[in-house]
Amino acid sequence: MDKLSSQRLPPLKRNWWLKHRFFKLYMLREATVLPLIFFTLCLLAGMVALLQGAESWQGWIAFMRSPIVFVLNLLALAASLFHAATFFVLFPRVMPLRIAGHSLPDQAIVAGQWAGVVAVALLFFWLLGRA
Amino acid sequence: MEKIAMNKHRSQHKQAFDEPLWWGLFSAGGVCFAVLLPAVILFIAILLPLGLLPADALSYERASALLFSVPGFLFVGAVVCLPLFHAAHRLRHGLFDISVGNDALNKKLMYGGAALLSIVALGIVVAGFFS
Repeated sequence: MDKLSSQRLPPLKRNWWLKHRFFKLYMLREATVLPLIFFTLCLLAGMVALLQGAESWQGWIAFMRSPIVFVLNLLALAASLFHAATFFVLFPRVMPLRIAGHSLPDQAIVAGQWAGVVAVALLFFWLLGRA
Repeated sequence: MEKIAMNKHRSQHKQAFDEPLWWGLFSAGGVCFAVLLPAVILFIAILLPLGLLPADALSYERASALLFSVPGFLFVGAVVCLPLFHAAHRLRHGLFDISVGNDALNKKLMYGGAALLSIVALGIVVAGFFS
């Protein structure tokens, strides 16, 4: 059966996703993990530096200041927000919430998730933003 | 879509019992990526290198105290490990989408890489905690 299904279905060409806007957006969303991986590797390098000592830690901050690293991390921030925007609209479709027999409007669920993003940012501000 | 999915697992005649695990880690990592990562990237990769945080906010002593702790361990789990599995899953499926490599091997490489980096990241926190 497996063999038959592979015969019925001609293999897709590598550029199949360039043919429609929907697929291009899908691939763009898939690609948001590339700058995420870059940031994660930076973060891991910072953790190693922190373990090594004060001098390495200062060296890592200098590395984070270098223009290419900084621009790639800006891209990672944009990618995380784009990922969030596409991810949050899925929630009400996958798991519609009902409160007291009334279904919660999709916009409310999406707004709630953005409020979560803001809450985490405020937590970081509380932790790091004050002298 | 179903037929494409069948093609993907053509070589696997056994039922893939591990897939729910990868999808579960993918979703958990996706939530962390969307809700936590924007603030983390903003504060650690943008504001810190720009010198916009108070001078001692992430000094060597403060950063060590924050990271090498029980909350630091949880932070690494949510901000490094789960997003790594999310990225691994997207990369694996992205490589399949553009017909690069072989899925059985990609699967081992991606999840193996995510697991290895996760162990390193959590190991750094534990090492810092006991040093």
